[in-house]
This record gives sequence, C-alpha cells and structure tokens, in this order.
Amino acid sequence: MSDEPVLRFDRVGLSYGPGADILADASLVLRPGSMTFLTGPSGAGKSTLLKLAFLALRPTAGRISLFGLDTGRLKPDALASLRRRIGVVFQEFRLLDHLSAYENVALPLRVMGRPEASYRKDVTELLTWVGLGDRLDARPETLSGGEKQRVAIARAVVVKPDLIIADEPTGNVDEEMGERLFRLFRELNKRLNTTVLIATHDMALVRRANADVLRLADGMVVRAQAPPALQQDTPA
Amino acid sequence: MSRHLAPLLPREDAREAALFFVVCALCFLAAFSGLVSRAAYAAAGAWTSEVTGQLTIRVRGSDADTARALAIVQATPGVAAARALDRADAEELLQPWLGAGGIPADLPLPHLIAAEAAPGATGVGDRLTAALQRAELKTTVDDHVVWSADARRATDTIGLIALSAVALLGATGIAVIAFATHATLLARRDIVELLHLTGAKDSFIAGLFERRFLMLGVQAGALGALFAFGAAAFILFAVRQGDAQTWLLPQLSLSLADGLILGLSPLIAGAVSMLAAKVTVMRSLSDMV
Ligand SMILES: Nc1ncnc2c1ncn2[C@@H]1O[C@H](COP(=O)(O)OP(=O)(O)OP(=O)(O)O)[C@@H](O)[C@H]1O
Ligand SMILES: [Mg+2]
Repeated sequence: MSDEPVLRFDRVGLSYGPGADILADASLVLRPGSMTFLTGPSGAGKSTLLKLAFLALRPTAGRISLFGLDTGRLKPDALASLRRRIGVVFQEFRLLDHLSAYENVALPLRVMGRPEASYRKDVTELLTWVGLGDRLDARPETLSGGEKQRVAIARAVVVKPDLIIADEPTGNVDEEMGERLFRLFRELNKRLNTTVLIATHDMALVRRANADVLRLADGMVVRAQAPPALQQDTPA
Repeated sequence: MSRHLAPLLPREDAREAALFFVVCALCFLAAFSGLVSRAAYAAAGAWTSEVTGQLTIRVRGSDADTARALAIVQATPGVAAARALDRADAEELLQPWLGAGGIPADLPLPHLIAAEAAPGATGVGDRLTAALQRAELKTTVDDHVVWSADARRATDTIGLIALSAVALLGATGIAVIAFATHATLLARRDIVELLHLTGAKDSFIAGLFERRFLMLGVQAGALGALFAFGAAAFILFAVRQGDAQTWLLPQLSLSLADGLILGLSPLIAGAVSMLAAKVTVMRSLSDMV
C-alpha cells in the first residue's frame, strides 16, 4: 500500500443548520495501518467527525479525502465504492430488526453480491469470536445492548475493510469484553494493516492501548499523545 | 446446507395489506367503470345501427298504388326486405288505443310499407324517395336518419363522459398508489440509509423496492380486475334473469377491448407502484451524501 493517507481532513467545518459550528478548522491525517483514538467530552462532536469520515455527512467547509480521493468531487457510485472499503460501528448500532444476528453481520457481503455459501464459515466464526456463536438466529430485539454492539462490530469488520471507524464500540460491554473487542481491532490492524479510528470515552482503554490519541475541543482536533514516529504527521 | 436468508426488505404485513387493498380497490373501480362504459357504448352503437336499418314508407293513394310502391321498394338496391302493412297489422298496432273491438270499418287507414335496409347499406332512404318520385307516387319515406343522428350524438357524448370518468379515476388511482407507496417507503428509510452507508449503489437499493412494489401492484391489480369482471358478469346475469331489455347490455362475450381493460389495469397498477417506489427511493437517496 502506498503512503497516501487513508483519511485526511483539511480545515473541515461543520454546522447543523444555522447556529454555532460543531467543527471548525478540524484537520487530521490517518496513515495506512495506524490506530487512532478520538476522545473529547460528550457533545464535543466526535460522532459528527466520524459521520463526516464515513460519508454520512458533507462538510460545510474544508475538504475530506479518503484513500487519496477528494470526496467532494466524487459521483454517487464512486462514493458507494469508497464506502465498501470502510467498516463502520455506529454509536446507535443500526442493526436491522427483521434480520437475525447472522444476517445482520452478512449484510455488507450481500450488498457486494457474494453468495451465501462463500461467507457462511467466516460469519459464523466471527460471531463465535465475539461470544455470540449460540445466538446466530437471534433477532436484535432479543439481544442485550452489549450483544447488539458485538453484532454491530462483527458487521463492521466482516468484509476486512481498509478502514474501520468505530463510535464508542465498547460503551455497552464490561471491561473484559471491551478488552476482547479491542483485541479484534488490534488483530486486524496488525495482521491486515487495517487503519482504525475509534471514538471513545473509555480512558482506561486508551491508556492501555499503545495508540495515537486525538482530542476534540472547541471544534478543533488536537493531538493529545502520539508515538514519536508519527508526531511530524500533524498537519499544519 | 445453505441458510435461507430473509429478504433485505421486510414483509410488513399490516402496512402492505393496506396498500394492497387500496391498489386492489382502485383497479376494481377503474376496470369496472371501463367495462361498463365500453358495454354501454357498444349497446348504444348496436341499438342505433339497428334503428338505422328500419324504414317506413307512407303511401297516399289506393291499394294499387301501395302494391306498385312495394314492388319499387323491393327492387331498390340496399333493401333487404319489405312488406306492406295490412289491416291486421294496423289493428294490432292501434289496439292499445282503440281497444280489442277492432278498427271501425269506415276509418281510413294509412298505407304503410315497412322496409329493412341491408346491413351496411347507405343512402337507401334517398334512393327510395327518388325511385318512388320517378314513378309519380305520392309517398313519404321516413328513414330515421335525422332521428338516429341525434341518438348517435347522444351516445357519443355519453361515451365521452364515461371515458373522461375512467380517465379521471385512473389518474386518481395512479396518484393514490404513488402516495401510498411513498408513505410505505418513508417508514423504511432506516434500511435505505443503512444500505447506502454500507456501500450499496442507488440502483441496488431502488431495485429492492421496485421489485417488491411491482409485485404488489400487479397482484393487487389483477385481483381488482378479476373482481371487476365478476361484478360485470353478475350484473349482466341478473339483468338477463329479470328478462329486462337486454339490448341495453351487450352479450357476455369478452371483446378485445374488455380483455385489454382487464389485462392492462394490473400492469398499469404494477408499473405505477414500481415507478412511485423508484422515484421515492431515488429522491430520499439524493438527500443523502
Ligand atoms: N443531526 C443533528 N442536528 C443538529 N445538531 C446535532 C445533530 N447531531 C448532533 N448534533 C449536535 O452536535 C453536537 C455534537 O454531537 P456529537 O454527537 O457529534 O457529539 P459526541 O462528541 O459524539 O457526543 P457523545 O460523546 O455524547 O457521543 C451536539 O451538541 C449535538 O447536540
Ligand atoms: Mg457520539
């Protein structure tokens, strides 16, 4: 893979209609294979920043590039192709309630047109890894908050995306499961060079993980802690 | 062993049953009024052409003049049959007014010839008038042309009104189907959004909804058309049983036009539902990034 940033924000601004900007002049760069935490107080705009990154929102100012492409200039079908390279864990999970856990995880593969037989083993193994091997046929409404979260995480990683964007992925599970889920991201990051961006309040997790940490404050992104080798990446 | 995957679009029985009912009812109304107006139009047409074929010739003169006139009438091209009405015919005709006692012997009766034009023959009345005039007979030819032209105009107007009613009903149906489809879709915006964010192309997402609503429209439309056919057949049967004037209604035979009405309405309903689904999904997708 080239050294092209996987995700790049250039002086991005965002406001929901009239009123104060949620983001103002937010800039950041994610290198391929990096692992980054995004922290900040509740309401700071973490979810908003992630929504911009996974193309659910358009910035009101600035430029967002994904895999070296300026997203503001792309046609809908090209944006769809970019989205397939991104696995998203939504803060509110967004599982489809008429599908089983298994079918929810398999959804991105179905969208890609993959036949069921080609992924059955992978999906089953993944659900087993997150501790839901015996709940394959369960509907989301019968799952606990933490179980839903694990299904959402499995769905985000099932296509082995180039970029994983997770919004509070450990917010609803106990410390032990949180550690296990984080290891899943870590494995993908180490083995497949997957770039990972995680928004979280879980400072214990942030401290334990040896990763880049960005902080959102006053609509700007501040580098809070970074491994020495990456320090010069902070955009001007 | 392969798992059976649930459709990406859930079956929403309650909501879809309501939409199914709406489409079915609208198709029934449109197809039924289409059938009825076509039937009424066909009956009126048959009736006026039947009337147009009848001619009455009144002869002012003796019995000999009448016989001479009858010979001329029978020899005129375009006349299929003709006969002089005799005293018995006249008594039968006048019986309601004069009673069963018969016509007083001294009452002068007009000499009448009833003629029937061959089907499709035109200008028979004019030819008869000319031929009888050449023979210097004092006659009046009544070929109902003026009268039946009025009747034809009336049926044309009725047909036009019926057609407008069907068109209006059809347009209303299309609007309601589009509206109901739209409402049903808005409820599933969450699925549209998630598929969109998962990287599904617009055509993939729209296709899911298009297929679903095409099937719903065609099935509901077919059921509605079937009910319309049943209702029309039942009315015809009931009227026949009652021995009413059957010329008001056409024979219970599926004409090409009937088949077209019954066959097209489900297809139109399906196409409208599908198009409404496509437009709604595409519009809600264009609101997204
Ligand atoms: N769709 C929206 N319309 C208007 N305002 C919004 C919308 N979504 C979020 N906001 C506002 O933007 C701000 C940032 O919200 P955001 O969800 O990004 O915060 P966050 O940092 O993720 O918070 P948390 O840690 O609680 O998840 C909040 O003040 C919120 O009220
Ligand atoms: Mg948030």
